[in-house]
Amino acid sequence: MTTNAKDVRKTWEKIADYFRAHSIWMKWYCTGCGAIEMPPTMTSRFDMERLGMGPMATPRQADVLLITGYLSAKTLRRVIYSYEQMQDPKYVVGFGSCTLNGGIYFDSYATMTRLDHYLPVDLYIAGCMPRPEAIMNSFDTLIKMIEKGEAKGWKHYQENHEWYRRNQLHSLKEVYVKDEFHE
Amino acid sequence: MNSTNKLVEEIRQRFEIIDVIHPDDQQVILDIDKMHLHTLLSHLKADGFRQLSLLSAVDWIKDNIFELVYIVFNWDTGVHVLARVKLPRDNPRFRTITPIYPGAQYYERDVHEFFGIEFEGNPMSYKPLFLELWDEMPPMRKDFDPEAYSREKFPERVYVPHFVPKVEVIE
Repeated sequence: MTTNAKDVRKTWEKIADYFRAHSIWMKWYCTGCGAIEMPPTMTSRFDMERLGMGPMATPRQADVLLITGYLSAKTLRRVIYSYEQMQDPKYVVGFGSCTLNGGIYFDSYATMTRLDHYLPVDLYIAGCMPRPEAIMNSFDTLIKMIEKGEAKGWKHYQENHEWYRRNQLHSLKEVYVKDEFHE
Repeated sequence: MNSTNKLVEEIRQRFEIIDVIHPDDQQVILDIDKMHLHTLLSHLKADGFRQLSLLSAVDWIKDNIFELVYIVFNWDTGVHVLARVKLPRDNPRFRTITPIYPGAQYYERDVHEFFGIEFEGNPMSYKPLFLELWDEMPPMRKDFDPEAYSREKFPERVYVPHFVPKVEVIE
């Protein structure tokens, strides 16, 4: 395993990562059917808060963007908007097989086939849909990844912004949200 | 014999109906010429069919025909009436029904967007509703290929096989 100079964390970054890992505010973007697995994860049955995670209402205060399910061309535009509003450091978790490879609607004219083409995904949860046990397990993994400094998707997005922007524009033509009800 | 017989008899006396089907006790399907659809719907609305439940289209590509489907519902008797008209598939146009049922506004936008049928007299129907920045042919037409569109627009994940089993065929 090779280590580059920029991969070595300074002491204050290690301390910061420790605290980041143990107080995670999560924004879950309910794009598809996967959102139904979140209430049991958050409430008393599986109780997400014992990991130090909590739901957050707005993207500006959130650390983790959880994409639960299918992304249509229209929602992807909003997701990119939300992601760019979030403050660094930020992490993206892709949820279910639909964010991985398109799931059963891979051939639809309206749905994305892979999420990491447009946003840097730190962690994928496989399954259709993943059970709350799998989600808890993945949160545990995510916490360990943040603590070790392995979740570097947001840095990757900054460094390869042109590549991501080119992919976004190829699929969406323009990343600008037009909404006739709010204009 | 069912509860809709009286209604159908009344409509038969006033309009030229091509065909009547009774799929259920409370449901009637009327195939009608497109000249008479607006008068039929006005008559039905005055008769208590206050709600337009659905306006949609069917693409019969082999017959080169678009079929518009109007479903109206009577809350007093619980009867559904489904009226169908046929349009030619090339350059499909039809008159709007928004003066009769204003709620058809969004249905007409939807049908225009997904089937490309133009509704004369409804300028709002040309605005896009669900699809943003769409540049292909309307996607619900049968000759649209969604898989080719998806391949071109949304790149797929390529999986590298880690292990390919070698099988010898013994004859």
